[in-house]
Amino acid sequence: MTKGHDKVLAFRGLTKRFGGVVALDHFDMEVDEGQIMGLIGPNGSGKTTSFNVLTGIYEATGGTIEFLGQDITNWTAQKVCEAGVARTFQRSRLCVELSIFDNIMIGNHQNLNHGLMYNIFQRKALKRDLQESFEQAKELMAIFNPPLAGRMMEPVRNFGMIDRRRIEICRALISHPRLLLLDEPSAGMTEDETRQLMDDILVVRDKIKGLSIILVEHEMGMIERVTDRCVVLNFGQKICEGAYREVASDKLVQEAYLGVE
Amino acid sequence: MDTSKDMLIGLVAIVLGSIFTITFIAIESETGIIGLIALSGAAVVLASRTGISERISNAFSSNESMMNSAVLVAVLVIIFWFREDHFSLLMIATVMLYLTACLGLNIQLGYTGVVNFSGAAFFGIGCYTAAVLNQNTGLSPLIVLVIGGIMAALIGSILILPMLRTRGHYAAVVTIAFAILFKTFLEVNDTLGGAQGLKVPGMEILGWDFNSNIEIGDEIELSFYLNYVAIALVLSVLAFILMRRVERSWIGLNLDAVRLDETVAACFGISIKRWKVTAFTMGNFLIGMSGAVFAMMLGFIAPSNFAFSDSLMLLSIVLLGGMGSPWGTVVAAGLVILLPEKLQVIQEYRFLLFAVVVILILVFKPQGLLPRGLRAYIPGWRG
Amino acid sequence: MVGTFVGFTTYLGLSAVGIDNAFVQLVGVLVVAVGAMALLGAVIARYLVLPLKSAPPLNILLITLMLGTVLRESVRLFYPDGSNPKPFPYLLPTDSWAFGSFTLRADSIILFIGGLLVIIGVNVLINKTKMGLAIRAVAQDEETAKCMGINYTFTVLLTFALGSGVAAFAGVMNGLYYNEINFSMGLLLGVIGFSAAIIGGLGNIYGAILGGFLFAALQTVGAVALPFSSAYKDVFAFGGVIALMVWRPTGLIAEKSSERV
Repeated sequence: MTKGHDKVLAFRGLTKRFGGVVALDHFDMEVDEGQIMGLIGPNGSGKTTSFNVLTGIYEATGGTIEFLGQDITNWTAQKVCEAGVARTFQRSRLCVELSIFDNIMIGNHQNLNHGLMYNIFQRKALKRDLQESFEQAKELMAIFNPPLAGRMMEPVRNFGMIDRRRIEICRALISHPRLLLLDEPSAGMTEDETRQLMDDILVVRDKIKGLSIILVEHEMGMIERVTDRCVVLNFGQKICEGAYREVASDKLVQEAYLGVE
Repeated sequence: MDTSKDMLIGLVAIVLGSIFTITFIAIESETGIIGLIALSGAAVVLASRTGISERISNAFSSNESMMNSAVLVAVLVIIFWFREDHFSLLMIATVMLYLTACLGLNIQLGYTGVVNFSGAAFFGIGCYTAAVLNQNTGLSPLIVLVIGGIMAALIGSILILPMLRTRGHYAAVVTIAFAILFKTFLEVNDTLGGAQGLKVPGMEILGWDFNSNIEIGDEIELSFYLNYVAIALVLSVLAFILMRRVERSWIGLNLDAVRLDETVAACFGISIKRWKVTAFTMGNFLIGMSGAVFAMMLGFIAPSNFAFSDSLMLLSIVLLGGMGSPWGTVVAAGLVILLPEKLQVIQEYRFLLFAVVVILILVFKPQGLLPRGLRAYIPGWRG
Repeated sequence: MVGTFVGFTTYLGLSAVGIDNAFVQLVGVLVVAVGAMALLGAVIARYLVLPLKSAPPLNILLITLMLGTVLRESVRLFYPDGSNPKPFPYLLPTDSWAFGSFTLRADSIILFIGGLLVIIGVNVLINKTKMGLAIRAVAQDEETAKCMGINYTFTVLLTFALGSGVAAFAGVMNGLYYNEINFSMGLLLGVIGFSAAIIGGLGNIYGAILGGFLFAALQTVGAVALPFSSAYKDVFAFGGVIALMVWRPTGLIAEKSSERV
């Protein structure tokens, strides 16, 4: 039983077709507890699609997804979230006109009381609740970047790309998920910022025990430094799996990236 | 730092504002009105140039309950000033009822992003409910009022399924179709008076007849519209508080998330359906209640009051004031209702003018006259 | 609707000049009405739609509706005696043929053929010409269209001119058929047209035609089938529109769209 618990996520023959295009083709993958899994592959190889199928944005055409021993194939986005999967998006998707605090609280949805009566009439209790949540969010933000924790009530539009990524990761972490999906966190960032972000991710792994992470990335330096294991996708199929070093020297992978005639 | 100074400025502004409103309502000559408008325009420009408007808004955010009470007192003073004047009180009550309806609309559109092009139809449902109930039953008007709201919310729920399934233009056409369906239905339905409309008996609570003047001793006779102003005031204050509290709670956050990014909202477990339905129903309830009071106050209603262009006018108020901004809605409701009444010259041109003003607002200042600020969950809270 | 009024004015102008030949008048009316509206459409696109293309779609929709109000009110207020219905001249032959109990009016046939020609014309324009290709390209992907050397601004203006011109043609046809015009006819027609396009599915001419026929069919069914009163035919038709939206939320022929997540 303990063995079964170590495995957090399993894709079995996961397939997604858009009309005639096969975005995912019998994809198998397993992620263990506390593991950072890298998901790499050329553009359009199905990395983000696998996230979207997992989080319930797309429906799977075939195959199953198992999370913490439960079959969660084709659950709604809402239920997948409640089960303990949180994610960030390829193009940063924060609500830029809301404050940092508001954005993080969107991630904290399942831990808040949403009753009509509670929210409209029990203002005292709400106030206590609010202050608690605020401290919690601030603490989490401070792990990433202490200056940001002091600016929680500023609109997100005032912040640059790297800070937005940090806020997005906080939004995903606040609900204590078991699995975190990071979709190209380094997109649109300078090398220096990417390095800072890598440090952040490693901090997250050290501070939150048992959290598994799947990282979609093009930045190979990041994959090499951060991940425990990698899966390489090409045209929706898994072509290789293993530690970064093994994967990088694999002939098929080199062909996929460089193209071989 | 100098919040007390800000507060003083804020209070002075409220006093000036109420003097302005009283003069505006009382004045008869059209040149006088135009002069007043020019004056207020200049004052607004001056205030924003010198940073006074910023201080006023500071005063409101740091000392909210005090400033809100001050505004309420100012409104009571204005009402008291016109205690014997039928027409002015009618106008004031109309502004308040439209304000209530627009606050409801603002919860739908401003917070949740649910487009409702049939605001006037839901207002009309409230009106017709009041008419039918008052004619056929002896129910207390306060119950009638609540039933008016409930009916609007119930009939609105017919639209929930199509609204949840559609998006963007497709959702808009659902409410547009309903607006036209509703008006056409009223025009051809004989039991509801057809195109000629219906008479609505006035309110009467515990033997207190709302439609006769209030006499105190032999000297003082107050306009019977004062009754309706009172009930409209209570209604609009409650609606204002409701909207504020909704915004400053987790519910308001959910509504914003639904409006700003449905995909993200769903990915974090926020139920798009639940919050759209909540906002739509809550908004329609407010719109329906204000309609019920409106019908009892006017004593007569007809389908032509609830045309598509009236829905557009309600939406204009929301946009003009600023999406999700309750104070903006107050100002905009006042402007949109009072201006054409006072300036008979433009009465004929009012739809044209509103349309032009809304286009200009959308092009040059899409956030409205008093843009909504960041959510401050508790007044003055800075974390 | 404004188109019809312009057409009407042209007619008055032409009669004032003393041209009595109905055919010349008809052509004059059509050319001027369609031309003027096409120009108006382009002007509106240039100064209101293009500057706002990044605004939320709701704002654009509202602007369009408000613009409709402006035009309608302008006709009502500024056209001499505009708030009253005006008789529209009989410019088509008034012959009719009887087939048993069934009467066929010559003007109906001419209008039918005219409408058909316009539909075919627009269809050919959109699907067979280079200009149509540009319009479709811009509709699908503005950036790519620009990169491929399509003059974006010009194409958008042209689209609006085309749409407004066709609408003006429809307005004149409507006037010719009913021999009466009034300022508010545009609102209902506009809403019906918009609904029809939506029922059919935006971005598809066949959809719009289908939607138009369907709406008319709903009205007819409403008029014939409802036992109590044919007055409810519009109520029935709009109820049908709402029901159709439940069944097919993106129109009968769904628009091809995909959201990047």
